Amino acid sequence: MLNQIGNYSLYIALISSILIIIQSPILLNRNNINVSGRIFSLISIQSLMIIISFIALIIAFIVSDFSNETVYNNSHTSKPLFYKISGTWGNHEGSLLLWLLVLSIFLLIFTITSKNLSNKYRILTLFFQQIIILGFLLFILFTSNPFMSLFPIPNEGTGLNPILQDPALAIHPPILYLGYVGASIIFSSSLAALISGSVNKTWAKHIKNWVLVSWIFLSIGILLGSIWAYYELGWGGFWFWDPVENVSLMPWFCLTALFHTVLILEKREMFQSWAVILSITTFSLSMSGTFLVRSGILNSIHTFANDPSRGVFILCFLFILITLSVFIYFFYQNKIKNNFSKTYIVSKEAAVLVNNLFMMFFLSVVLIGTVYPIFLEVLNNDKISIGPPFYHKLIVPFMIPFLIFMAIGPNLNWIKDKINKINLQQLLFFILSIIVSFIFLKRVGISYLLSLPLFIASFFLFFITIKDFSVKKTNLSQKISHFGFSLFILSVLINGVLAKEYSSNMKVGDERKFLNKTIKFESLKINENKNYQSLEANFKITDKNNSINLKPEVRVYDQPQTITSEADIKSTLYSDNFLVFNILKNDGFYNVRYQIKPFMIWIWISIILISFGGILSIVKKNG
Amino acid sequence: MKIKILIFIIIWLVSFFNFSFADNSEKVDQISKNLRCLICQGQSVYDSQSDFALSMKILIQNKINEGKNDEQIYDFLKSKYGEWIVYDPEINKNTVLLWVLPLILFVFGAILIIKKVSIK
Repeated sequence: MLNQIGNYSLYIALISSILIIIQSPILLNRNNINVSGRIFSLISIQSLMIIISFIALIIAFIVSDFSNETVYNNSHTSKPLFYKISGTWGNHEGSLLLWLLVLSIFLLIFTITSKNLSNKYRILTLFFQQIIILGFLLFILFTSNPFMSLFPIPNEGTGLNPILQDPALAIHPPILYLGYVGASIIFSSSLAALISGSVNKTWAKHIKNWVLVSWIFLSIGILLGSIWAYYELGWGGFWFWDPVENVSLMPWFCLTALFHTVLILEKREMFQSWAVILSITTFSLSMSGTFLVRSGILNSIHTFANDPSRGVFILCFLFILITLSVFIYFFYQNKIKNNFSKTYIVSKEAAVLVNNLFMMFFLSVVLIGTVYPIFLEVLNNDKISIGPPFYHKLIVPFMIPFLIFMAIGPNLNWIKDKINKINLQQLLFFILSIIVSFIFLKRVGISYLLSLPLFIASFFLFFITIKDFSVKKTNLSQKISHFGFSLFILSVLINGVLAKEYSSNMKVGDERKFLNKTIKFESLKINENKNYQSLEANFKITDKNNSINLKPEVRVYDQPQTITSEADIKSTLYSDNFLVFNILKNDGFYNVRYQIKPFMIWIWISIILISFGGILSIVKKNG
Repeated sequence: MKIKILIFIIIWLVSFFNFSFADNSEKVDQISKNLRCLICQGQSVYDSQSDFALSMKILIQNKINEGKNDEQIYDFLKSKYGEWIVYDPEINKNTVLLWVLPLILFVFGAILIIKKVSIK
């Protein structure tokens, strides 16, 4: 029943998609305001159908309808309700349906909120967006249909990967997708603006909200993913330069660059072509991200079910979209009205260009690092791995000038500023940051030649962004985001420098000394839970003044059979105490890993601050 | 102005080389963080608790005790398991583009910007 509902509604959505694509070129030439009415109803029907099919899939998961192949492969009756629901998008087919759902809802929102813009621009945007929707509908219906029927109906499903049964990970994909898919609207609308010759202030003003929305969702999506990795994967890190993580970071760099460019475009009507190129690139990166993850050619902890034919389809689709957009770009590029205003070297515009340069550099490092092994293997069969050391070596040295520019840039004026305004105040802050970094590194006992410049640059940015709160010139949302970023860099650095780790094999009753603390393995007990058994250990960490208890678990899930380690983390404002243990083969011994991670919580808080700046900017403008 | 830029570049280069040759944590940890655990999905030897990773750590410890330096240990592992095992690919004819391409792009972008902006 549910399978049929899902299938039929997807086919109706497919038909409306084709109808819209056929109709829009005809409507384009009529200058009648009412023309969009017809398309609007088609879009509403389409969204409604996709919503129905998505709800059908959720219901199939909730009632454990194992006549549905997707449900059978990814669910189990003993799973808690929450994870039954999140299981809907915790697999290939369901996650694509979610992509499609967000695509169509975003298009609906775009249609409703763009009423005061030109008809031509709107219809063209709808047209391009429909091409993307059509591609995804075909992809879903013919290579990864979530509504395949199974007969005879099995009694029990095979379960969801336990590592994915986690609150942060349950909402991580939808949030990340909102960011990815927001990029599709930016893509379609930039092509539309290019063709209708309206890459101007009005467009910039309109698209800025979409850029911000995608950027905010992408930031929060990445945050959730790394929080999850921090406590679930049990290594105590929060970013591993894993290919799938990189894939989400690339559009982020691009969107950040685009947002700054759009600000200039809105204010001074400059850099139009660059904004269009960035819009196209952002979406291409989101799409290739989906391709890379879904095709399974990346070697990553995230790879779930994969199938080469799916990869080929997305690759072809991506190829068509990119060719189309490049073609449109070169054909209509001369329609861009260039006002030939000069960019002076000391100005806000030049500062944004520098920001873009660094963003593009970081992007290229991550992009090349992620895809290079794939190409190398295809070309001459050499397998190489690219991991954290590569990214650190290339990104960290460029961080130093980047942070300093970021401190100075936002304080510059539009058009032209005077050089001597790089003033005494900033110089004082610079000297202050040298002193602070020097004392800090000396106390920590790190050979300072290494990290001194990096710490100086980050303290400098930190002080300047704090000072900027007292300046009235720039807006509050920007100050919050920039301050958040400086806090982020500083926390990551301090965390990296001060983190301490102890690892040992222990059995119950053992006691170990580490720094000025005593780690005692007090007890071990077995708990029975609905869909797993857990081995809960109790550790007592004592130092001079106080003691804390940490209770990490090892869980044995039965459907499918998997063992996971759940770290126990006690967070304070100063540091996190992180403890995880693993079963060893020799009797009675467990591998115990205890870590002290200073300022960990500030990494999360700072990313929330960065995103909050974006939210504030949207709210303020519409309020 | 020119002197300031010069000083800046020098500091930057010094720090760059320092990062490349940094070595201040324990040797086994240092090396095993740079190795891929071959039987796991995307984990380093350091982070993994698999049998492979555990025996690998013992192997590295033994090599250090034998008095081998980092270079020799990496070379030994590479000849045994292939280039795939190290996370930090060295610069050779296969990987020169990997290291240089981002830098070329940066320089190219910087030239574009310098051409675009007017000094006066």
